[in-house]
Amino acid sequence: MRLPLPRRAVLAAAVIGFAVLPPAGANPYFIYIANLGLVYVLLAIGLNMLIGYAGQLAFANAALFGIGAYATGLLRVDHGLPFFLAFPAGVAVATAIGVVIALPALRLRGLYLALASIAFAQFCLWAFVHWERVTYGAGGVRLPRLSFAPLPVSVEVGIYYLTLGLVVLMSWLAWNMLRSRVGRALVALRESEVAASALAIDLTRYKAYAFGVSAMFAGVAGGLFSALLGIVTPETFDLYQVVSHFAMVVVGGIGSLWGAIIGAALLVGLQEVLRAFRELQEIAFGALILFTVLFMPSGLIAFIKRFASGWDEPLRRTEGDR
Amino acid sequence: MTKLSLQKVSVAFGGLKALEDVTMSVPAGEIRGVIGPNGAGKTTLLNVVTGVNQPDTGDVQLDGASIRGLKTSQIAARGLGRTFQTSKMFKGMTVLENVMTGLHGFLKAEPWTAALNFKRVRDEERDAAAKSRAILDFVGMRQFEDYDASDLSFGQQRVIEIARALIGEPKVLLLDEPAVGLSAVRVDELDRLLRRIRDEKGVTIVMIEHVVQLVMGVCDRITVLNSGRVIAEGGAEDVARHPAVVEAYLGRAIGAAAAAGAGHA
Ligand SMILES: Nc1ncnc2c1ncn2[C@@H]1O[C@H](COP(=O)(O)OP(=O)(O)OP(=O)(O)O)[C@@H](O)[C@H]1O
Ligand SMILES: [Mg+2]
Repeated sequence: MRLPLPRRAVLAAAVIGFAVLPPAGANPYFIYIANLGLVYVLLAIGLNMLIGYAGQLAFANAALFGIGAYATGLLRVDHGLPFFLAFPAGVAVATAIGVVIALPALRLRGLYLALASIAFAQFCLWAFVHWERVTYGAGGVRLPRLSFAPLPVSVEVGIYYLTLGLVVLMSWLAWNMLRSRVGRALVALRESEVAASALAIDLTRYKAYAFGVSAMFAGVAGGLFSALLGIVTPETFDLYQVVSHFAMVVVGGIGSLWGAIIGAALLVGLQEVLRAFRELQEIAFGALILFTVLFMPSGLIAFIKRFASGWDEPLRRTEGDR
Repeated sequence: MTKLSLQKVSVAFGGLKALEDVTMSVPAGEIRGVIGPNGAGKTTLLNVVTGVNQPDTGDVQLDGASIRGLKTSQIAARGLGRTFQTSKMFKGMTVLENVMTGLHGFLKAEPWTAALNFKRVRDEERDAAAKSRAILDFVGMRQFEDYDASDLSFGQQRVIEIARALIGEPKVLLLDEPAVGLSAVRVDELDRLLRRIRDEKGVTIVMIEHVVQLVMGVCDRITVLNSGRVIAEGGAEDVARHPAVVEAYLGRAIGAAAAAGAGHA
């Protein structure tokens, strides 16, 4: 007997729970952590589209996250654009770069794609640090304070609601995409390229879509992240960032939209608990990935599906589904 | 009228000539068998027709138009359906979703229209599901629509793969050893299904097969390949008695070779 814990009710409760934090008087630090968790939800969903659904083992997500953050921040600082113009422009830059790196990546598979994308991530990190004329170098770039005037909210609360709104919107967009022929084409691509193309699926086009969509999610996350922190620094987008996104997807459930959300929330929470010990964070994330791969390869979402009903989703059958 | 034809097609992998000067033409409404010992080039023949391998020389035509040099996905969109020697069901998808994937070329959704949940995307999804259920009914697998690929027996997976190819309304359906590993009863069912696909859907079929019972029973004509060359072509009786065929199978009865082949997936 599975618990009647329908997804709609849980999601509605979660959104309402997040929405009432500020008026309920949660302290600013708690709101900041909740906001960070929401940013990572976007990153995890985007990465899951690429790795989990389309099966492209690429690790460029952290770099694209950085590109979104830098582009948004620099457009404000250097070109004086208001945030509400700089942000979509930053997303467009990240998406465009995501599609451009997809072009060479289209020829690479498996391990080679993984290696090439890690090289790209390292190159971006290097550029963030050393391309000082543009990025302001190792010290990072400090951003002007945002203002949500004339809305009657503080900057922190404004960014928080903006993030929450975008998480709801973009989860919905992702969900819709997955339950159409686009989602099926991505999974077909993952399972067998030759069988997918025998069903008239254009591999090049759908790989480019997968890279573009995940880059767009990373870009949105980056723009919000820059606003949330008020500063963009290069070391934020290092290998640790790469590993965290990957850990969220794996722990939550590869190829599951809800899994990505759960994984992001859980790991941001864990990261905060271990905030004082960065080495411990890395070990904990590594251990969690290992544990999941060995004992729970379908991720936490499979566990939830086993004990609660109503969590079926398109393109994902696990033992928990029946 | 000729549906599918190959003219003097040759394919080499390095020094190995997998196909040499292969010419064959399959008229509309025929079920054509392709047999030959292991490594004869049968799968390569399907790969070259579907654009997975490019012919070094020669031409491939579908409905009289050359499809040589097109991408596999373009060839599929022009009306070539295919199944594979090993199961290529998409895991994670339900049986219904697998079959719906076969409709890809008929649907219009793009990431942005799908993401924004346009009405026409919702409508096409509803129609796609209905069409897929109808095809599942046609192959007698409707009750499994919610199963995952990995919950099905090997034989059931093969039938779903046929349904997945069939829903794209192919002019020609290419099957690579559909009966491999099936029990005699299942082979009978497959025999009936293939006839219904030809008669009720009007699909021309080219089938690679080692299982003699099926090849001899259902095929209108049989093409025999050996070492990349066509060594015989004709009705079942003629081919079985053809001296070159007997020699190709080293004097063994075709059945013995078939048994060996059936174990090889
Ligand atoms: N991509 C490839 N690269 C190199 N050699 C190949 C390739 N594909 C097939 N071959 C070789 O071409 C020859 C014909 O192979 P093919 O798979 O077409 O045989 P087949 O008749 O389908 O055999 P089977 O009954 O075993 O399936 C074999 O010698 C095979 O090793
Ligand atoms: Mg073969």
